[in-house]
Amino acid sequence: MEMGFTSAVYVLAAVLFILSLGGLSGQESAKRAVWYGIAGMALAVSATLFGPGNGLWWLSLVLIAAGGLVGYQLASKVAMTQMPELVAGMHALVGLAAVFVGFNTHFELVNIASMDLAAMKSLEGFSALLAKKSAVEINILRVETSLGIWIGAVTFTGSIIAYGKLAGKVTSTAFKLPGGHFLNAAAALLSILSAVWYLNSGEILSMIVLTFLALFIGYHLIMGIGGADMPVVVSMLNSYSGWAAAAIGFSLGNDVLIVVGALVGSSGAILSYIMCNAMNRSFVSVILGGFGGSSGPQMELHGEQVPIEADGVASVLNDADSIIIIPGYGMAVAQAQQSVSELARKLRAQGKNVRFAIHPVAGRLPGHMNVLLAEARVPYDIVMEMDEINADFSDTDVAIVIGSNDIVNPAAQDDPNSPIAGMPVLECWKAKHVFVSKRGQGTGYSGIENPLFFKENTRMLYGNAKESLDKLLPMID
Amino acid sequence: MKIGALKETSLGERRVALTPDSAVQLQKLGYDCLVEKNSGLAAGFSDEQYKSVGVEIVGTPKKLTEACDVIVKVLPPSESELQELSSSKTLISLFYPGSNEALLLLAKSSESNVIAMDMVPRISRAQKMDVLSSMANISGYRAVIEAGNNFGRFFTGQMTAAGKVPPAKVLVVGAGVAGLAAIGTSTSLGAITYAFDVRPEVAEQVESMGAEFVFLDFKDEQVNDASTGGYASVSSPEFAAAQLDKFREIAPEMDIVITTALIPNREAPELWTADMVASMKPGSVIVDLAAEKGGNCKLTVIDERVVTDNGVIIIGYTDFPSRMAAQASSLYASNIRHMISDLTPGKDGVIVHDMEDDVIRGATIIHSGEITFPPPPPKVQAIAATHNERTPDKTPEEIRADEVAAFKKQTKNQIILLTVGGILLFLVGSYAPVSFMQHFIVFILSVFVGFQVIWNVSHSLHTPLMAVTNAISSIIILGAILQISSTSFLVVILAAISVFFAGINIFGGFLVTRRMLAMFQKS
Repeated sequence: MEMGFTSAVYVLAAVLFILSLGGLSGQESAKRAVWYGIAGMALAVSATLFGPGNGLWWLSLVLIAAGGLVGYQLASKVAMTQMPELVAGMHALVGLAAVFVGFNTHFELVNIASMDLAAMKSLEGFSALLAKKSAVEINILRVETSLGIWIGAVTFTGSIIAYGKLAGKVTSTAFKLPGGHFLNAAAALLSILSAVWYLNSGEILSMIVLTFLALFIGYHLIMGIGGADMPVVVSMLNSYSGWAAAAIGFSLGNDVLIVVGALVGSSGAILSYIMCNAMNRSFVSVILGGFGGSSGPQMELHGEQVPIEADGVASVLNDADSIIIIPGYGMAVAQAQQSVSELARKLRAQGKNVRFAIHPVAGRLPGHMNVLLAEARVPYDIVMEMDEINADFSDTDVAIVIGSNDIVNPAAQDDPNSPIAGMPVLECWKAKHVFVSKRGQGTGYSGIENPLFFKENTRMLYGNAKESLDKLLPMID
Repeated sequence: MKIGALKETSLGERRVALTPDSAVQLQKLGYDCLVEKNSGLAAGFSDEQYKSVGVEIVGTPKKLTEACDVIVKVLPPSESELQELSSSKTLISLFYPGSNEALLLLAKSSESNVIAMDMVPRISRAQKMDVLSSMANISGYRAVIEAGNNFGRFFTGQMTAAGKVPPAKVLVVGAGVAGLAAIGTSTSLGAITYAFDVRPEVAEQVESMGAEFVFLDFKDEQVNDASTGGYASVSSPEFAAAQLDKFREIAPEMDIVITTALIPNREAPELWTADMVASMKPGSVIVDLAAEKGGNCKLTVIDERVVTDNGVIIIGYTDFPSRMAAQASSLYASNIRHMISDLTPGKDGVIVHDMEDDVIRGATIIHSGEITFPPPPPKVQAIAATHNERTPDKTPEEIRADEVAAFKKQTKNQIILLTVGGILLFLVGSYAPVSFMQHFIVFILSVFVGFQVIWNVSHSLHTPLMAVTNAISSIIILGAILQISSTSFLVVILAAISVFFAGINIFGGFLVTRRMLAMFQKS
């Protein structure tokens, strides 16, 4: 097959990928969009497999099949609550692949440099492409390769740490080695130095040093970010894996890699931006970890948290007409989405207006709550975004907060000294009654006191969210 | 213990303090219920209905008072009713202790306990027994109905074969409970409804009911709602003047005016002056819900319907709740039932008069022969203090100017970005070789396309988006496939591992996305 044919297929694949991402603008078109993505991937891979200059295509095929089997097993077994871990973990694979491909480019380069002209002529495929490069082009190639390896390595360790934090295998609190961000800055500086070293010498040692520095940065950067910021981290790593692919695309001179890498990279960047906006924090302050400095003592809290039992909640719910449910990470932890869905179904069957309010950063992944509710068969047209529903709380009889904390914290609006001051929050305290399902009296993930729990119209339903709801369900009639 | 409801003795009062429904609830709390003969007749509850739920019918008020420990009624008790009371008995009714001092002293001498339903503090916990709110709600609704009864036209605008009917314009002054109820009724009948209140922070509530809030051009900050327990307070003379000017301006357009402005323990403020009435069209209707306290319009005659010289009808009825006796009784009875339920923590039919409880303390005006009125301020404030500042709506010119400014700013930003981006590209282009530039252009365009496309992705699909982008980022597999045919063994091994990993990612990523999307469904 000719090179021109491969390029044509690549263009088609790139268009399909763009359509695939664009199709995610609505729930219905999204179902078609996945197929565009799958078709694009199938086209790109088969064009490469059977394209010019590929000898060992059967080996690739076998390996893809094997990988596919493992991927299939993983994806079909994973519970929806573990989705964040899975996505984070899979980013690591892309990062690692980018590192290996980058190294291969280097080896290939060394390999070719040692050949004589006759041997060069007999080369085909990727090696032939390299052999034709001029001195300037080889320098650019080296920059691209080291960039690809560096980003790939950061993505690899970063994703593994993110996976560990989300899966609860690594402590979710922010942790830094002594020296903090100076270590990261120093490692970044050293990375640039070793990239320059590589550029001038082309030695393998410089590449290995670069890789280890990048691996360290990925580890240390993500370790320093608290669990509550994980939505930003995961989308950021998503972005990195895209940039790594784009950089490798440059070094291989492969346009479809560049296109897809850029798409993924910009998509992740936008997602991170949206998440940061939702928390009213700058991207830099999230990445550098921990909360920004607060300018004074937090507001003192008066009053007490008033507990309530399931029967009290049930009697109010039976009298209410409009109900808004605000799920958070606590719902995911307790696997309570089925019970929440059942509660909504029962209340709706009585003709009550039941809706869900989703804060942009609820959960550990952008859109995490939507996926869990969808899994529990909550219809998506009663699941509202913060901006759509925030004005309605004052007309609502009951707001039920299930395992969320910061996203319903009135201190964000009232207390200029609060660490989350200015963050947009769901104004559930404007509802006539607020029930908060919570494990205990603690301050939760971010360690910020929540005045909502002390409000006159708030009642606390202590206990595991799923158990509390299951106790509540039979009393709704 | 026994609870008994007295028949109302005032002329024209049709309500009753105990309904068959509330009796059932009280029996669940452990009480026996009694009711005076024919008490509920005017409200549509016959003695048979009471008997069928186990309520005992008693012939005379004297017997009932003797037999019961708790006596409930609607209006303040008459002197003779008070004289029947003896110590250890509890009377629950409206009382208005602020203006009924003589009655208060008389009640004190009987050594009974008196709970005034009109003194229930306005805190959220006590809303279920807030009689003033539940009665005001009825008054607001009924005021619109009475206005409609006297108004010779449709509320809603219609285009009929016989011609066009303009919609009625209704102005509600005072957006308290009654005002809001009137707004709701009026908008649901199809009238164009305007509302005014001295408390600008209620604008949001007014708008939520579908009416338009009439803003004044007035800078002075109004007294915050919270300090007065949610009621309006007296406004400054300048404010009052500005307010009257605004009313004067809109009076000729209004078909129906419903005034509900009351300030606790004061005469009703005059808001609708005689010259405003004179400027209204013939056939217009004014319903003055403040008639009892002298009226917001001085032409109002208490309990009368009068027609002015220019044909404006002014209604000054004060018995709106009683005009809807069935509804009013059931709400009042359930307010009473909630009060008794709070007085019966053990649910064993025994009254526990807990003077530490904010609500019970506030409502109790006589306890064991001692006058306990006025109560200390409640420990919790009714409404959290807020400073909502609302600016008057912008004029069309201002909105236009804002739009132009925003457009200019956006254009400027885009031009700056394009220029800077162009210069950078030019710099790169003048140094980098052609082969690099070709790829670089592709890269820049893809980033641009990515930015354009991703902004449209709906928020709820962010997780599927991440899974899809994760799956397609395994396009890195192409690089590995290209390298796997290398002559170097090391390269083959590394490339093979990469192909394997990327393979996991492709299948895993797409499958997970499909699983997620399949779950999204419409109701």
